[in-house]
Amino acid sequence: MRRPPLALSLTALAVALGIAVVAGVAYGAVAIPPERILAALGGGADPTETAIILSLRLPRVLGAALVGAALAVAGSLLQGMLRNPLADPYVLGTSAGGALGAVIGLLFGGSLGLFAVPLLAFAGALVSVYVVWRLARVGAQTPVVTLLLAGVVLSAMSGSAITLLEVASDRLQLRLSTLLGLLVGGVSVISWAQLAVAAALVAVAGAIGLAYAYRLDAISLGDDVAAGLGIDVERTKRLVLATTALLAAAAVSLAGLVGFVGLVAPHLVRTLLGPAHARLIPAAALAGAALLVAADLLARVALAPTELPVGVVTGLVGGPFFFALLWRHRAAYRL
Amino acid sequence: MRRTIFAFLIFVLGACAPLPSAPSASVTASPAPSFPVTVTDFQDKPVSIAKRPDRVVSIGPSNTEFLFALDAGDRVVGVDDFSDEPAAARAKEKVGGVKPNVEKIVSLRPDLVVSVKISDGSLENLMSRGIVVLVVNPQSAADVAKTATLLGRAIGADGDALASRIQSGLDAVRAKAATQPKKRVYHEIDASDPNKLFTVGPGSFIHDVITIAGGVNIAATASGQYPQLSPEEIIRADPEVIVFASFGVTPEQIAARPGWSVITAVKTKRIVKVEGSLMSRPGPRLAEAAEAYYQILAATR
Repeated sequence: MRRPPLALSLTALAVALGIAVVAGVAYGAVAIPPERILAALGGGADPTETAIILSLRLPRVLGAALVGAALAVAGSLLQGMLRNPLADPYVLGTSAGGALGAVIGLLFGGSLGLFAVPLLAFAGALVSVYVVWRLARVGAQTPVVTLLLAGVVLSAMSGSAITLLEVASDRLQLRLSTLLGLLVGGVSVISWAQLAVAAALVAVAGAIGLAYAYRLDAISLGDDVAAGLGIDVERTKRLVLATTALLAAAAVSLAGLVGFVGLVAPHLVRTLLGPAHARLIPAAALAGAALLVAADLLARVALAPTELPVGVVTGLVGGPFFFALLWRHRAAYRL
Repeated sequence: MRRTIFAFLIFVLGACAPLPSAPSASVTASPAPSFPVTVTDFQDKPVSIAKRPDRVVSIGPSNTEFLFALDAGDRVVGVDDFSDEPAAARAKEKVGGVKPNVEKIVSLRPDLVVSVKISDGSLENLMSRGIVVLVVNPQSAADVAKTATLLGRAIGADGDALASRIQSGLDAVRAKAATQPKKRVYHEIDASDPNKLFTVGPGSFIHDVITIAGGVNIAATASGQYPQLSPEEIIRADPEVIVFASFGVTPEQIAARPGWSVITAVKTKRIVKVEGSLMSRPGPRLAEAAEAYYQILAATR
């Protein structure tokens, strides 16, 4: 199959994201006609509608886009580095580790302010992605079975630790009203300040990912190939893992545990553009953003006026996708 | 927090119970207490009570309050973990929280169990052991008066007197409030999910209390007794007073929620926290709750 030019693909994905964003801003609990939404975006409308659009809907939609992009890039990096199509921050427990950190940040990070949650989420994600990688590694290989098992166990442990903290903090009379939402995954009320912090993290991580795209290409062909090309494989892997943790932390601190976007987006893009990371990373970011904005919209519309957590939508859509991948590769994995 | 959530769950779960559509026979006549008596409980089920109960287990803080208000406190041998009013109730044996401990209840040898609606099968379990279980699950202000009468008949006390005392208290507040300008009120119960805030809707006693005290509930057209509103809807409704019982939330945090600065109540700093059990139970203190709500609204006039 001839691959479409990168510029065209990126434009198409950006248009898709744009449509999803427009739809996401247009639809909400309170019906506001399009011309008044435009007026609100210009800041010249009725203050109530301006508040609804600029303080609630737009940050939510942009937050969903950011979370989707972060998870998709994280998935691309992990899949390339581990040479494993089933890797993604959710499956490997990186997000769960990040969520544990975020919970600790929510409980004890008062003095760190706005940065408490992302910072501790980063710490949690970093520890968990490193542990999974070290646990799963056999020589130069990371066999898929050990990788997935390590991820499962780590997710379970982080989940238990979060529940323990929740129960214990009740006794300690700590506030954690946002805690329950973290485990289900949902983009909801996001302030512009939170959004800015997360955007900065994702931008930095995305830039690192792009800068290492060539080295990742080499590593995905094999550690020996990469070493033969003069790449410091260990150092690159550590940096890529840290970048993944940063992305997972940004996503978790905005939306909790959102599954499978990091799995689906890179695969869709790879079938279209091939595995080269310089093409994969920006395209996966756009695709992930569009997917999650659309999933969030679906979560809001499906049972309106009741809203589903977006994690429910990504789980229901992404779970079968994961099974399909398992099925296709089952011979190779001897599952 | 757990306590708050569980206490909240108790009445949300209770809210799922289908309420009798027509007033039951128990409301209409209440002659001098005599036994045996057959009363109709909140599930429209006839319950026969052979003799004046001496050992009553009460599940649901509002039921416990009613029993004490009916001067039957000394006959209560066990209460649920959340029953903390009146003070004497705290000294009673505890029979569990959201899930009643069936073994514990049986060991107390009750001749009557009065319980809110609980769907985990424990009430059926008690019945199958021959224990008389009366489901009393008040939700609205009208249910509260009905509960007083019903429990009075079930335990052999003057429930009608209590019912009319509650009713006249409510009427007094209603009369006072009628002369005052109405205020749009948003009453927040729980903010665990910042995108779906629990409030009170028609059929819940807090909704009735708001109305009696001279407020207009912004969720008056919502469906369900405890509907969830999106912040968009709250901003659009523009409440003049925000009353909240949500745990771990401060007025400053509410004022700082994204987009809320345009709400009249936020601009005029009319954000009031209500704490304690008065505003969370459809019990015999309902008139006091209405008076407290009236004072909250009066302070903002």
